[in-house]
Amino acid sequence: MEVTVVKEGKHGILGLGAEEAKVRVRPLAKVPEKVDETVGETVGETVKGVLETLLERMGVEAAVASQTKPPLEGGGEASDVVALDVTGDDLGILIGRRGQTLASLQYIVRLIVAHQTKARVPIVVDVEGYKQRRYEALQALAHRMAEQVRVRGRPFTLEPMMAYERRIIHLALADDPDVTTESVGEGEARKVVIMPKGSKPD
Amino acid sequence: MKDLVEYIAKAIVNAPDDVVVTEETGDEGTTLKLQVADDDKGRVIGKQGRVAQAMRTLIRVLAAKQGTRATLEIL
Repeated sequence: MEVTVVKEGKHGILGLGAEEAKVRVRPLAKVPEKVDETVGETVGETVKGVLETLLERMGVEAAVASQTKPPLEGGGEASDVVALDVTGDDLGILIGRRGQTLASLQYIVRLIVAHQTKARVPIVVDVEGYKQRRYEALQALAHRMAEQVRVRGRPFTLEPMMAYERRIIHLALADDPDVTTESVGEGEARKVVIMPKGSKPD
Repeated sequence: MKDLVEYIAKAIVNAPDDVVVTEETGDEGTTLKLQVADDDKGRVIGKQGRVAQAMRTLIRVLAAKQGTRATLEIL
């Protein structure tokens, strides 16, 4: 692990005015032991190896491209994001209904990498650019529905979505002067409500 | 199908040597039984069964490719 001190802590006087130090911890490129046949030189390669092994055992023939990107602004992540894109023929089966299979695949990859490297590596798995297309579609949907809400002056509730998808909607309308958004419901059924500013969801 | 479950389970538990997966084929397709050390049970099930659910989703892909159905039981 590489530890960088972002902000020195203060002891304060008798604990008054004390501040905790802020440090940034990022995994070093070298992967520690305890990684079996999927061992790679860098975290990116380890992650790629894990996904390739999974796909092979799932009977899916596909190519995996790995890319390391700096963390997204405001994404709350400290270390570089490992972005994997899976390409091949007939990969709809890997995406699943509303991206459920892709979400499970990403979850398992993250879990395995976290267990093997003992570090929290932000990983994004995409299949044939599905997430990018979905991102654009959700942004368009958000603006279209916000327009409806503006015209009718009544709240509109979207379909249930996964957390990162709801986030795309919230962010798309964050600066909208006329509407606000809120997530309602629990778990799988959680959905975004777009409301005229100043009103509340039912 | 066993290989997939075994790979995932061994990669997320603390005692990979204690991972045992059995596979039975019946009328309803394949039944996979996963056994792990007691301390690792939570790791293969996950909070609100999330890990088990994700494993089932991935197993379904393989089963669909083979034109069959599969269920995963955690013992």
